Amino acid sequence: MNTVRPWIGYACAAGAALFCTFIGLAMVPRFDIVNIAMIYLLAVVVIALCFSRGAAILSSVLCVAAFDFMFVPPQGTFTVDDVQYLLTFAIMLAVALVISGLMESGRRQAEARAALALEAETERIRSTLLASISHDLRTPLAVMTGASSSLAEGGERLPPADRAALAQSIYGQARDMSEQVAKILQMTRLETGAIAVERDWAAISEIAGSVLARLSERLAGHHMMVDIPADLPLVRVDATLVDQALANLVENAARHTPSGTVVRVRGQRKGNELVVSVEDFGPGIDDRDIERVFDKFHRGASEGAGRGVGLGLAICRAIVRLHQGKAWAERLPAGGTAFRFTLPVEEAPRPPSEAESA
Amino acid sequence: MTEARATILIVEDESEIRQFLRSSLGAEGYKVVESGTARRGSIDAATHKPDLAIVDLGLPDFDGVAVIRRIREWSPMPILVLSARAQERAKIDALDAGADDYVTKPFGIGELLARVRAALRHAVRIASGKNLLTLEDAIIDLEARKATRGGKEVHLTPIEFRIIACLAKHLGMVVTHRQLLGEVWGPTHVADTHYLRIYLKQLRDKLEIDPVRPRHFVTETGVGYRLVSDDETQ
Repeated sequence: MNTVRPWIGYACAAGAALFCTFIGLAMVPRFDIVNIAMIYLLAVVVIALCFSRGAAILSSVLCVAAFDFMFVPPQGTFTVDDVQYLLTFAIMLAVALVISGLMESGRRQAEARAALALEAETERIRSTLLASISHDLRTPLAVMTGASSSLAEGGERLPPADRAALAQSIYGQARDMSEQVAKILQMTRLETGAIAVERDWAAISEIAGSVLARLSERLAGHHMMVDIPADLPLVRVDATLVDQALANLVENAARHTPSGTVVRVRGQRKGNELVVSVEDFGPGIDDRDIERVFDKFHRGASEGAGRGVGLGLAICRAIVRLHQGKAWAERLPAGGTAFRFTLPVEEAPRPPSEAESA
Repeated sequence: MTEARATILIVEDESEIRQFLRSSLGAEGYKVVESGTARRGSIDAATHKPDLAIVDLGLPDFDGVAVIRRIREWSPMPILVLSARAQERAKIDALDAGADDYVTKPFGIGELLARVRAALRHAVRIASGKNLLTLEDAIIDLEARKATRGGKEVHLTPIEFRIIACLAKHLGMVVTHRQLLGEVWGPTHVADTHYLRIYLKQLRDKLEIDPVRPRHFVTETGVGYRLVSDDETQ
């Protein structure tokens, strides 16, 4: 209601007064002029309900004037013979003020409620973040504290194999934790716009190669396939960010599908877009999750706690959006899920040709 | 090997990090000199004449890049930088200022030791002037400008040779886009990264067993490239 431009309210107020006058003229032969006053009053009420206080006041003034001029004897003048009509005028103005006042406060309350709801949502996200951080970071911290204290206080009494296992577990947990912390920081930086996108020409095949090399340990259980045509165009992107986006998808696929299954990284050109996909052949996800997987802190229905902070795909989407692309998930006909994102394609200039005598 | 008993200078303000570097590098037989500030680091580099310097980019007094510039004024010693994840830009500046390689914090000691070994080997190689490069089934003779794969000759263009030569000069270490473009195409082309994307793909197609998952022409995303020969991977 508030979004309506103010002049529309005033125009309607004038229109309503005019309209009532026509109705009044039609009523005159058979109705008492008190009833015509009622028609005007109705118009004032409607304008007060629908528009601003200013429009309501204008409407009451116009209606009083029209009613006085057209119907109150002596007709055709603004003079009033019978003092009781002054009461009619006063009531019309009062009704306009009271109703528009009520509407105004109602609107203000609705705004306040919306603001409260927004605040509650922000608070919910913040507490989800806190809950997830405290769980996902405290567990590895507990392991690290316990294992390192065993080594520090009397490690020499432990058999060498146990010592090595403890040290290995501290190392593993610390690495995981630093990944989580990096993700939380990255999400914050993406959300606050603290990241400058440094675009440069990049090849998706190179980015895929470096992602697979970096994650090779974690992907050891899966059969990784790469399907990127040799003639795929270069893209002008921030390679470091796109590398992260793709790495998060690959990691997600490896984490949620049984080992021994295939995970395929694909690149395709579709018109003016390049579509990068990570396809898995895991159990697939249900419809509700397919819509929401890229949301912050979203965990699949079947997923328990403690498997990452749930930011990987949200970071991916934020990065893709920075590049004017979109990210989504879809079910594959053969089972499994495809996570895809697009990047805009521009034609890269060719380097000066070399007289190649091949 | 000559790299044992090499002296390594660590310029790092966090004493806990210095401590684990000192004990791990010490256990590998290296002699360690420590500095906690950029100013101290520049002085220690001059007085101790280390074989290699490890410089943190987040020093309290001056930028780590300043230390690198100071050292580069008088010494070609290999320099490794330690950078945090959010210091992408600083890392590239450090490499362009003359650092030879980087390790991103947090790092495992295995990764750091591998970089240290590659950098020290590099210094030895420069002295020996070795010109033959082995990349699995491919052998590249940089002096004769000849490449063979499985005994058969592979045709490489002059630019492809120049790229390999530039990467080989820093074998096992990272070369930034800017350095590579400047050295191969000249100073007016230092921003033409797409040249590299196209040529590195050609090189991989000609010389890698699996061009999509290269083992020798390694991409350092957002930074540059690294050439890894068979001597480095062992």
